Amino acid sequence: MTATTSLLDRCRQAIATVDDPEYPGVSIVDLGLVESLDVRGATATVGLIPTFSGCPALDMIANDVHRAVSQVDEISTVEVKWLSAPVWSVDRLAEGTQQQLAVDFTVAVQIGTGPVLCPRCGTATSHLSMFGPSRCRSVHRCESCREPVEVMRS
Amino acid sequence: MRTWGSMEEFEAFLDAGGIVEVGDDMPHEYRQAVFAFIEMHANSELMGGLTERDWIPRTPGLRHKMSVLAKTQDEIGHGHLLYMVAADMGIKTRTEMLEDLFAGKSRFHNVFHYQAVTWGDQVAIAFLVDAAALASQQAVFKNCSYGPYRRILKRIISEEGFHMRLGEDRMMRIAEGTEAQRKLFQDSLDRWFWPALQLFGPDSKPNDKLLRWHIKSERNEVLRDKWVQKFVPMLHSYGFTIPDPDLRFDETTRKWVLGEIDWEPLKRTLANGGPDSTRRISEARDNYERSGWVREALAQ
Repeated sequence: MTATTSLLDRCRQAIATVDDPEYPGVSIVDLGLVESLDVRGATATVGLIPTFSGCPALDMIANDVHRAVSQVDEISTVEVKWLSAPVWSVDRLAEGTQQQLAVDFTVAVQIGTGPVLCPRCGTATSHLSMFGPSRCRSVHRCESCREPVEVMRS
Repeated sequence: MRTWGSMEEFEAFLDAGGIVEVGDDMPHEYRQAVFAFIEMHANSELMGGLTERDWIPRTPGLRHKMSVLAKTQDEIGHGHLLYMVAADMGIKTRTEMLEDLFAGKSRFHNVFHYQAVTWGDQVAIAFLVDAAALASQQAVFKNCSYGPYRRILKRIISEEGFHMRLGEDRMMRIAEGTEAQRKLFQDSLDRWFWPALQLFGPDSKPNDKLLRWHIKSERNEVLRDKWVQKFVPMLHSYGFTIPDPDLRFDETTRKWVLGEIDWEPLKRTLANGGPDSTRRISEARDNYERSGWVREALAQ
């Protein structure tokens, strides 16, 4: 790390190393879970928002963020908070994340009310059930290649 | 649709790392083997999810309750996806698979044939059984020749990895608890150590088709041994005792060696004759029948 990188940036970089526990390789920053970062003196305060409030990974993600930011030089105190507002939506996904979820996990993203395209063949999928293995995903089926597709949605 | 002239050609395709897709004209024996494997996995997710669900009202504390709720959702969701993939193979419909399961005609993992009586049992399951299930799924995923299953497994594995972290968290909490809590967990360990270990199954046969067709990529005994080498020292470090009087550390190989494994309980459970098989199956059937109106309403 060079001396020109500010403390705030180094904290930001540390948070970006934390992956979603259910999507190894996908950063919580790219999923839009990080709402705020405030550094005062040696204290960093991180504000996170969950994809849905009953998410069981909240403690785990907060602990991972705490651990990552604590390792930043010059930081001695880290506070991680889950905020109740704003509400998470798929619009918060970083550019390229939709593509990464499609390629690495065959997971599609429901943006707006348009058709959800199959991550494998690009055909429009049909909706099958509101919930899949998580409450932030529904299950679709591709009528062309028959792939069961999990769809991340707001 | 791809097709192969002979089994030799098909096996050469698999050996070269070829991936079979749902529309391919795969040999019948391969289709049957992959189907049976996925059907058992789907059944296990469903039966596991129902076990987990039983614990939602009984789980101590909101934090653990949230994790049990999420695990239930995960397992049922995995079952849902796996039944889709299995049904697509054209051997049995989803309804036929469920009816066979409830009639006691098909298989699900041995660990779901036992009753989880205490919270300690739930901790032992989350810590030991989930790790064993994850290790075997990872070994399938690594090189699985059936594309639709391989892609579902990728997501299942990352979620099971998350369950394992929850299991470690639960185990550490109970290990650092009172003497009564530690005793509770030791009792559960005594009950669950051997069933968890037997999840890997007996030693793979030399001509195992699942290995030959790249459905599995590792032999059962290799996976089982890795699990032993990881969990025996970990449980010792927390001061727990492994329920095996013949357990020893081999100074030459630097490995833990278990006494002889009695495979009879595994054979009994897989034939649906385990200690809790009858109740489990009949509860799953009742549950399915009671929720029939939901399926009907959704189909309207």
